[in-house]
Amino acid sequence: MNGVTNRKLLFVLGPVTGLVMFGAVVLIATFLTNREYKEPYRAPAAVVDPTPRAAGLADERAAAEAAARAKPYVEVEYRTFPVVGSRVAIWAVAQLHLLFAAFVLAVPIFAVLIEAIGYKTGDRRYDRLAHEFTKLLSVSFSLTATFGAALTFMLIILYPKFTNYMMSVFSPTFLPYVLLFFAEAFFLYTYYYGWGKFHPLVHLALGIGLNVVGTAIMFIANAWLTFMMSPNGISDGGALISTWDAIYNFTWMPINVHRVIANVAFGGSVAAAYAAFKFLHATTDEERAHYDWMGYIGNFVAIIAFLPLPFAGYWLAKEIYAYSQTLGLTMMGGAFSWLFIIQAVLIGNLFLGANYYLWLGMGRVEGARSVQRFIKYLLIAIAVCFMVWATPRSIIATVAEIRAMGGASHPILGFLGVMSAKNTAVNILILTTFMSFLLYRRTGKTATVAWAKTGHTAQLLIFASAAIFVIFLGVYGYFVEASVRIGLSVPQVSSVLFAMVAITAIDFFLYRRPKMSGEVRWGRMPAISQYVLIFIAVTFTWLMGLMGYVRSGLRQHWHVYGVIRDTSPDAFTPTLGFATQVVSVTVLAFFLLIGFVFWLASLHDLPDFKPRTGEKSS
Amino acid sequence: MTIPHSARIAALVVATTAFYGYVGQLVPQREVQPPQETLIRADLTTADMVKIGGELMVGKGLCLTCHTIGKSGALRFPDLAGVAARASTRIPGLSEIDYFAKSLYEPDSFIVPGFNPGMPVINKPPIGLTDPEILCVIAFLQTLGGTPTVTLQTSHAYYKAPGAPPAAPGGAPANATPTNATPAKGPVTP
Repeated sequence: MNGVTNRKLLFVLGPVTGLVMFGAVVLIATFLTNREYKEPYRAPAAVVDPTPRAAGLADERAAAEAAARAKPYVEVEYRTFPVVGSRVAIWAVAQLHLLFAAFVLAVPIFAVLIEAIGYKTGDRRYDRLAHEFTKLLSVSFSLTATFGAALTFMLIILYPKFTNYMMSVFSPTFLPYVLLFFAEAFFLYTYYYGWGKFHPLVHLALGIGLNVVGTAIMFIANAWLTFMMSPNGISDGGALISTWDAIYNFTWMPINVHRVIANVAFGGSVAAAYAAFKFLHATTDEERAHYDWMGYIGNFVAIIAFLPLPFAGYWLAKEIYAYSQTLGLTMMGGAFSWLFIIQAVLIGNLFLGANYYLWLGMGRVEGARSVQRFIKYLLIAIAVCFMVWATPRSIIATVAEIRAMGGASHPILGFLGVMSAKNTAVNILILTTFMSFLLYRRTGKTATVAWAKTGHTAQLLIFASAAIFVIFLGVYGYFVEASVRIGLSVPQVSSVLFAMVAITAIDFFLYRRPKMSGEVRWGRMPAISQYVLIFIAVTFTWLMGLMGYVRSGLRQHWHVYGVIRDTSPDAFTPTLGFATQVVSVTVLAFFLLIGFVFWLASLHDLPDFKPRTGEKSS
Repeated sequence: MTIPHSARIAALVVATTAFYGYVGQLVPQREVQPPQETLIRADLTTADMVKIGGELMVGKGLCLTCHTIGKSGALRFPDLAGVAARASTRIPGLSEIDYFAKSLYEPDSFIVPGFNPGMPVINKPPIGLTDPEILCVIAFLQTLGGTPTVTLQTSHAYYKAPGAPPAAPGGAPANATPTNATPAKGPVTP
C-alpha cells in the first residue's frame, strides 16, 4: 500500500468513524427507549373468538390504539440501564466526572502558585513549569464537561423521580452553576492561551479568577451531594423550607474543605505521573532534568496536601456522627467497617511510596550519606504504623479458632483494631513522612548559624514530645469512657500540627544560608523513581474512588437519607468485593483517558508534519 | 528485547489496580439488603412479639449496630444486658415499659450517665419503626433481665392501643404523642 492510498484511507477514516459513532448513539438511544417498562399488550378474551383474520387484526389494532389513548400519564420512578444496571452506570460516570473535575480544579491552584513564585523570583523555570501543568487542563476540562453532561442526562433518564425531587430543592442553584461554568471556560482558556500574551499580573489575576470560579462550582455541586447524605432545610415530609439551609447542611463545609485538599493531592500526583511519563520518554539530559524537577514538584504538592487530609477526614466523620450516630456507626462499625482496612492498605502504600521517592531523591545531591543513615529508622516506623493501621478489630476465623481466641477479636492484636490505635498510627505516620521531607530538604546542606546545635536539639525535642504525647493519648484511650476517648483525637492532631509548624519554622531560619556540599543534579534519578510516581498516582486515584463509594454508599437504601427511599432493584448495598471491582474498572478507564490527555499534551512538543519527498504538501 | 516504557507503565497501572481489587476480595463479603417490612398480625402472643422484636433489633431497627448485649469495658453506647431490671428505676415515676418507650420515641430526653446523646428517634426515618414494631422491641428488651409482659394491646405514653382505656400505665396520658409528650427533667439514677 503506497503513501497516497494511506492518506486517502486516513481521509476517509475520520467521517466513517463519525458515522459509526452516530449510529452507535442512535442504537443505544433506541435500546434505552425500548427498555422502558411497558405492559405487554394482550388481546382481551372476547377478541380471541374465531373471526376472520383481517377483521380480528383490525379489532386488535383499534383496541390497542384506544387503550393507548386512554392511558393516563404516570411518572416513571426508575428506568434500567442495559447489562450493568442503573446504579453501576451512574456510579462509573459520576466517578469519572469527579476524577477529571478534581484534576481540573486542582491544577490551577498550584499552577498559579508556581507562576507567582516565578514572577516574584524572576526565575523563568517556574513559569515554564506552570505552563506545562496547564497544558493538561484544556482537554481534561472538555472531558469533565462531557462526563458531567452524561451524568445529568443519565440521572434524568434512569432516576427521574429522584432527579425531580432534587430539582424541587435545588432549582435556584442550577442557573448560577451554569453561568459559573461559562465563566470557568472563559478563565481557563484565556489563562492557557494567554500565556505570555498579557502582563504577568494580569495573567496571574486570570489564574486566580479561574480558581475562585472553579471552587464556587465545586461548592455548589457539593451542596447537592451532601444534602443527599445529611438533608437539612426541609420538612418531615421532604418539602423545601429553606434553600440556604439545604445547601448549608451538616456535611457541606467539611466536604468542601476535604475535597479542596484531596483535589490538590490528587492533582499533584497525576501531574507528577505526567512528568514521570515524560521523563521516561525523554531523549536529552535537559528534558530529563526538567521532568525530574516537575515530578518532584508534583509529588511535593501531592504529599503536602495529603498530610493534613486525615485531619479534614476527622472533621467530616465528626459531622457525620453529629448529624446521625446511625450513619456514623454504619460507616465505622457496620457494613463499611472493613472498607477502612482496604483504605489502610492504600494509605500505607501512599506513605511508603512517597517516602521511598524522597529517599531515592536524596541521591540527587552529593553528600547525602549523612541523612540517608536515618532512612532505616523511618522505614521501621512506617512499617509498624502500617501494620497497626491495617489490623482489623475482628477477624474471619473458624468456630474453633473463635473459641480458642475467646471471641472474634484476637486477644492481643484485637486491641490494635480500635480507633485509639489507628489514630495513633496515622499521626505517627504523618510525623514520620514529615521527617523524611525535612531530611530531604537538608540533604547536602550544613547549617551555619551560631545557634545551629540549639536549633537541632529544639527540633528533636519537639518531634519526640509530639510523638510521645500522641502515643500516650493512644494508650490512655483504652482506659477511659467513650465520651472522653472520642475527644482525644483533637489533642493528638493538634500536637502533630504544632510539631510540623514549629519544626518547619525553626528549619527555615536554621538553613537560611547553609553551607552546600554539592549541587542538586536534577535528572539523575533511577527509572524506578518515576514508576513510583505513577504508582502513587494510581493509588491516589483508587483511594478517591473508594472513598467516593463509602461517602455515597453510606446512605444504603436511601437516595436522600431518611427522606427519599431507594425502591429500585439496586437498593441493596453490594459486597466490598463488587464495589472494589467497579472502582478498579473506573480507575483503569480514567488512566486510559488521562493517557490520551498526556499524549495530546505531548503532541505540542512534536515538530510540525512535513511531507515526505515525492508527496504533495497540502 | 527491551520492553518500551509505555508498555511498562500500562502494566504497572493494570497491576496496581488489580492488586487493590484483589485486596477488596480478601475482606469479608456481605451484601446488605434493605430492611423488609415485618408483618405484625393482630393475634401475636407475647412470645411471638419477643421473637419479632429480636429480629427487628438486628435488622430494620439497627439497634445492635451501636448497642451490645453482654459486653463490658469502654463502650460507645450502653450495653443492654440486664436492661429490663434497670429500666423501672431509671426515671422515678416511670414504669419499665414507659421508660423503654421514652428511650425509643424521645431518646435524647434521658441519657445514661457516662454516654453521649446520639440515638435516633426510632419511629421516624431513616429507621421508622411502626408503633406495633416498637412494642415488639420493648417485649424483647423485657427479656433482658426481666419477664416480657407486653402485648399488642399495651398502651404507653406515645401509643394508644386500639380499644385501650384512656389512661396508660405509668401515669402518662395514653394519647400523648412524641410531639406533645413532656420530657422527664427530674434527677436521674444510673
